[in-house]
Amino acid sequence: MSLLRVRDLRKTFGDRVAVDGVSFQVARGESFGLLGPNGAGKTTTIGMIVGALRPDAGTVTVDGEDDPTRPSLRLRIGVAPQALALYQDLTAEENLAFFGSLYGLSGATLQERVRWALAFAGLEERRRDLARTFSGGMQRRLNLVCGLLHDPPLILLDEPTVGVDPQSRNAIFESIEALKRDGRTIVYTTHYMEEAERLCDRVAIMDHGRILALDTVAGLVRDHGGKPRVVIEFPERPATLAKAGGTWEDGQWRVETDRPEEVLLQAVNAGQPLRHVAIDRANLEAVFLHLTGRSLRD
Amino acid sequence: MKAIWALAAKDLRLLLRDRADLFWILGFPIVMALFFGSISGGGGPRAALPIAVVDQDASPMTQSIVDRLRSSEGLKVREAPLDSARNLVRRGDLVAYVLFPAGTGASFGFGGDSTQSVEIGVDPRRSAEREYLRGFVTAALFQSIQGSFGASGGGRDQVRASLDQLRENPDIAPEARERQGTMLRALESFMVALDSTRTDTATGGTDGEAAGPNIRVVEVTEDDSGPRSAYEVTFPSSIAWALIGVCMSFAVSLVQERMTGTFLRLRLAPIGRATILAGKGLACALAAAVAVTIVLCLGVFVFGVRISNPPLLAAAIGASAFCFTGVMMVVSVLGKTPPSVAGAGWGIMLLLSMTGGGMIPLVAMPAWMQAVSNYSLVRHAIVAVEGAVWRGFGWGEALPPLGILIGAGILGMAVGSRLLRTDRA
Repeated sequence: MSLLRVRDLRKTFGDRVAVDGVSFQVARGESFGLLGPNGAGKTTTIGMIVGALRPDAGTVTVDGEDDPTRPSLRLRIGVAPQALALYQDLTAEENLAFFGSLYGLSGATLQERVRWALAFAGLEERRRDLARTFSGGMQRRLNLVCGLLHDPPLILLDEPTVGVDPQSRNAIFESIEALKRDGRTIVYTTHYMEEAERLCDRVAIMDHGRILALDTVAGLVRDHGGKPRVVIEFPERPATLAKAGGTWEDGQWRVETDRPEEVLLQAVNAGQPLRHVAIDRANLEAVFLHLTGRSLRD
Repeated sequence: MKAIWALAAKDLRLLLRDRADLFWILGFPIVMALFFGSISGGGGPRAALPIAVVDQDASPMTQSIVDRLRSSEGLKVREAPLDSARNLVRRGDLVAYVLFPAGTGASFGFGGDSTQSVEIGVDPRRSAEREYLRGFVTAALFQSIQGSFGASGGGRDQVRASLDQLRENPDIAPEARERQGTMLRALESFMVALDSTRTDTATGGTDGEAAGPNIRVVEVTEDDSGPRSAYEVTFPSSIAWALIGVCMSFAVSLVQERMTGTFLRLRLAPIGRATILAGKGLACALAAAVAVTIVLCLGVFVFGVRISNPPLLAAAIGASAFCFTGVMMVVSVLGKTPPSVAGAGWGIMLLLSMTGGGMIPLVAMPAWMQAVSNYSLVRHAIVAVEGAVWRGFGWGEALPPLGILIGAGILGMAVGSRLLRTDRA
């Protein structure tokens, strides 16, 4: 059963169409990714899901309710905005206690949730330090847990790893994987295909406000990524492969095929030592390239 | 309500951690009050003391004294009936009045009532001005008396008139007639000799006090109003800077929240927009009220500023804080970035302050500027506070400024919250 249902969402800012007829559903416990370059419409879509933006058309239904601005529904949604939504002159503990109090938490419950959030973000030892003294990665982690204090079943993470170092990024991944294991429903926006591949059960590829494809990562690669590519390097070009398919470049034989093991067998039987062998499987980058004709980072 | 308090507590905590904001809210108003207070003379005597003269005698002698007082550069003299003069002193419009009761002039002559006194009515708290004024009056009295002994002063005419009266009065005993006649003729001879030898006495002085007329000082204390010192004017004026400082601090913090994403997080919480704005407004109003109270407390406990009507002062502080909370909400939407809001906001605030008495005290403004200042909210805040401090306002007199402040606050909040309802967070 779907926890989140988005149907024909549309949003324009002046003449610019930011979101153009986006539809998808997210099942309970699913981790759903919106993958696309900057300006694709991911954040605008998130904004309409949480009720921060009013759609020009379309509907959003969360847990059977279709008005995300209702306080009762907002209690079931946790958000980590792309911009760091922290008070820099409050400590980590004060930021958490303040945002928790806005969700009706108080007393021992609030203290317990603040302790949990600090531990989850790995900030226990820095709990009394001002947020402004934190590294970018620590601020991102704090930004994430500020949206989790009220223990929401639906969590929307808008580019939660922007501008962080690899170590902090990995810590954030592990936090999100823990939330997945805990059965939370996650909507995750990113322009990093590695993140979508690692964290998301299904991925919608967005560009220019539209969803171009939506499936599991394997399904997308299968349908849009093209065939695996075998690359083999020989000391000299073998005569037995003169009439074989593929292309030759810098002493390397490159073949796109659904059966790479047969290509490998041909190379081994060519009578020359193999200097280098690689099988490049298609990924989401290739899928995006195939769908749009340009790279994710263009 | 818990969410509103949480929002307000957060903003106040942030404010306390920003030293620059604290300076503009507390330090700068105090500096302004002390600066203008000291250059206005603080609690000391003024350059020209405004006084009233009540001449109930209307004799040549008292007219001469009044003329001398009027010609003094240290005094600004106006004539008034006694009741009016007393009221003006009570209200603080004048430093003192000088009363010449009927018969004062005759008492300076011969055979007059030696118990008759010149009365100086003065606010007892203005001790420096009282002694300064007593010196002026004493000097004028002696100069006039001395002048009266000269040929042009009428002293010899008075002696001759007394000799005529002595000759024509049949009731005087012959021995007494002879004794008094001898004394009066000797006095006439002395005056003739004095006229021939006198030097210019116009600038002469205050000596001869031992033989001078009575000067009685009475205290006019029934009415507490009127500024006792320049600080009673400058401290209420300086609250404008406290209000402006708080207003600008919160306006900039609001636009900062919109830029950094915290405002978005607030909007995504299960609280309404009204709650968010109420929390911000409550923090702003509390900060303004506390800042104004601290500034005034300094004035009261260190610089002797008196509070004539504490409940009215509380109302004035509350209304001013409410008003500038509304102004804050309007200012916060004047730009999309902190620098643009700060620039536009300070421009407006300086204009309001300049025309409203935040820089030049209202009492020192020329008439045209006072008329312009009616359009400044700063003026109404200052007048409301002054009303409770030294103007001696009752609730009826305080109602117009309080009403304007509350009305402007409501309008500002309505306009500001309406403009804040943008589609994008």
